Amino acid sequence: MTFDSNAFLIIFTGSLIAISCGFLGVFMMLRKMSMTGDAISHAVLPGIVIGYFVSGSQRSLEVIIGAGFLGILATLMIDWLRKKARVQLDASIGITFTLLFAIGIILINLLAYKVDLDQECVLYGEIAYLPIDSWITKSGLNLGPRITWLAGLNFFFVIGFIYLLFKELVLTSFDENFSSVMGIPSKGVNLALMSIVSYTTVSSFESVGAILVVALLVVPPATAFLWTKSLMPLLKLTAAMGISISVLGYYLAYWIDSSIAGMMVTVAGVFFGISVLIHGKKPAWFRGTSPANQPFGV
Amino acid sequence: MITQVENPILEIHDLTVSYDQNPVLWNVDLSLPGGKLVGILGPNGAGKSTLIKAIMGLIAPTSGYVKVFDKPLNEVRSRISYVPQRESVDWNFPASVLDVVMMGTYGKLGLFRRPGKKEKDIALKSLEQVGMSGFVKRQISELSGGQQQRVFIARALAQEADLYLMDEPFAGVDMSTETAIFQLLQEMTAAGKTVIVVHHDIHSAMNFFDWLIMLNLHLVASGPKELVMNEELLRKTYGGKLNLLTRVTDMIRQKDFNPLKS
Repeated sequence: MTFDSNAFLIIFTGSLIAISCGFLGVFMMLRKMSMTGDAISHAVLPGIVIGYFVSGSQRSLEVIIGAGFLGILATLMIDWLRKKARVQLDASIGITFTLLFAIGIILINLLAYKVDLDQECVLYGEIAYLPIDSWITKSGLNLGPRITWLAGLNFFFVIGFIYLLFKELVLTSFDENFSSVMGIPSKGVNLALMSIVSYTTVSSFESVGAILVVALLVVPPATAFLWTKSLMPLLKLTAAMGISISVLGYYLAYWIDSSIAGMMVTVAGVFFGISVLIHGKKPAWFRGTSPANQPFGV
Repeated sequence: MITQVENPILEIHDLTVSYDQNPVLWNVDLSLPGGKLVGILGPNGAGKSTLIKAIMGLIAPTSGYVKVFDKPLNEVRSRISYVPQRESVDWNFPASVLDVVMMGTYGKLGLFRRPGKKEKDIALKSLEQVGMSGFVKRQISELSGGQQQRVFIARALAQEADLYLMDEPFAGVDMSTETAIFQLLQEMTAAGKTVIVVHHDIHSAMNFFDWLIMLNLHLVASGPKELVMNEELLRKTYGGKLNLLTRVTDMIRQKDFNPLKS
C-alpha cells in the first residue's frame, strides 16, 4: 500500500482533536461535569453567529472569542442556577444550553441575509474535506490544510494548559473546598478549564461538529477509567484510544463510504462496550493484591 | 458561660449564618486562645459544620466577621488547614494515598510550581504520623473508611499550618486509632498549634479537649473544659435528653473516669 497523504492528514488531525478533547474530558469527568461539555458545545452557537456577523468570516478570531465568551457564560449560568436558584444540576444544564442554542438559531434566522451560516454546519462537521481546504498565504504559499493547523494549535494549548495547571486541576477536581481553604482559586481554575473546553469545541466544529465533539469529550475518558484507577495511565490510555479511534474510524468509514467523524465515535462506543463487558468478568488475580491491614499502634 | 480571651488566635464576632433566609447560626461571639485542643460539641443540626465552614470562608456569613491570628482570613490562608468530612469527596478519584497527602503542600507551593522531593518528604512524614506508611502507593478507592480519614488528617498535617479545623475526623474510626490520633493532636497543641475539632462523643471529649465550644444554633458555652463541662450547660446544649445526660453527669462526678480503662 502506498503512503496516502490525505489519509495521513485526516487521521493525524482526527487524533489531535481526539487527544485534546480526551485530556480535557478526563478532568471534566473527574469533576462530574461531562455533560457541561455537551452544554458548552451547543451554547456557543450565539457566540459564533455574533462573531461571524461582526467579522464577516467563519474563520476569524471574533468567532473564537464570541464562542469562548458564550462558553463561560453557559458555565456561569449553570453554576448560578444550581447554587443560587437551587435547580438540580441536570435540569440547569438542560435549561441553559437549550436556551442559548435557541437564541443562536433565532440570531441565524434574523441575520440570515447577511451570514452564510446554518445550524447544520455547526452541528455536523466534515473532516473528509480537510485536504482540499488549504491555508494559503497572501504570497501564494500553500501551508497545508487549515483545519490541521487549527487542531495542532489547539492541541498545544490544551497540553500547555494541563501541564501548567496540573496540580491545581487535580486538587480542585478532587476536593474543591480544601483548595479554597488553602487559597487556590478553584473558581478561576474551573473557568479557565471551561474556556479551554469552549475553545476546543469551536476549533473542532468544522472537523467533527458540535454533537460528536461531545462524544470525544466523554467516551474515551470513561472507557479508560474502566481500566485504570490512577491519573497518569488514565491520560495515556485516553490518548492511545484517541489515536486508535481515528485510525480505525477513518479506514472503516473509507471501507463503507460513510462519515469519518461518525465512524470515529461509533468505534469509540464499541471500545467502551467491549471494555464494560471484559471489565465485568475480570478475574480476581487481575485486580492485584493488597497488603495485609496493619493495626495502628497506640 | 462564654469565656473571652486576650490576644485570641481566632475571634468570631456576632456571626450569623443563614441558608435561604433561615438562620442556622445565631450571634456566635467567641474568642479562642492559641495552643489548645478545642472541641465543638452539639446535637445533630446544631450548626457545628456550618460554624467551621464559616470560619474558613466557605460559607458567607449574613452578618459578623471572623478574624484569624488577628488578621482577615485571606491574609492567613496558608496558616490554616482543614479536614473536611470524609463523605465530601468522591473516593473513586484516580489518586494514590501519597498524591492526596501531597495536596496538602500545594498551598505553599503557589501557582504553576510542581511538588518536588521536599514536598514528598513532608507527605511521607505526615503519613508516618498517622500510621499509614504501609499504604503510600495504595489507590484511595481501596481504603477503608477509617484509613480514608487518616489520609485526610495526614494531608492536613502536610500543610504545616498553625490552625487546624477538623470536621468530624473520628467518624468511622476505631477506638485505638481515635486515641492515637488524639495523642497526635495533643502533641501538636503542645508544639503551639491550635486544633479545633467537631466531635460527637461526649466521653472522649471530656478526656482529650482543653477547651470546649457548645453549640445549639446559639452559642451555649465556650471556655476551658473544667468550667463548661457541667450538667446545666450540657442540658442547654442537648435539650431534654435526660437519659444520656444523667449518665454523662454521673461520669463527670467520678473524677478519674476513663472509658479506655477496665
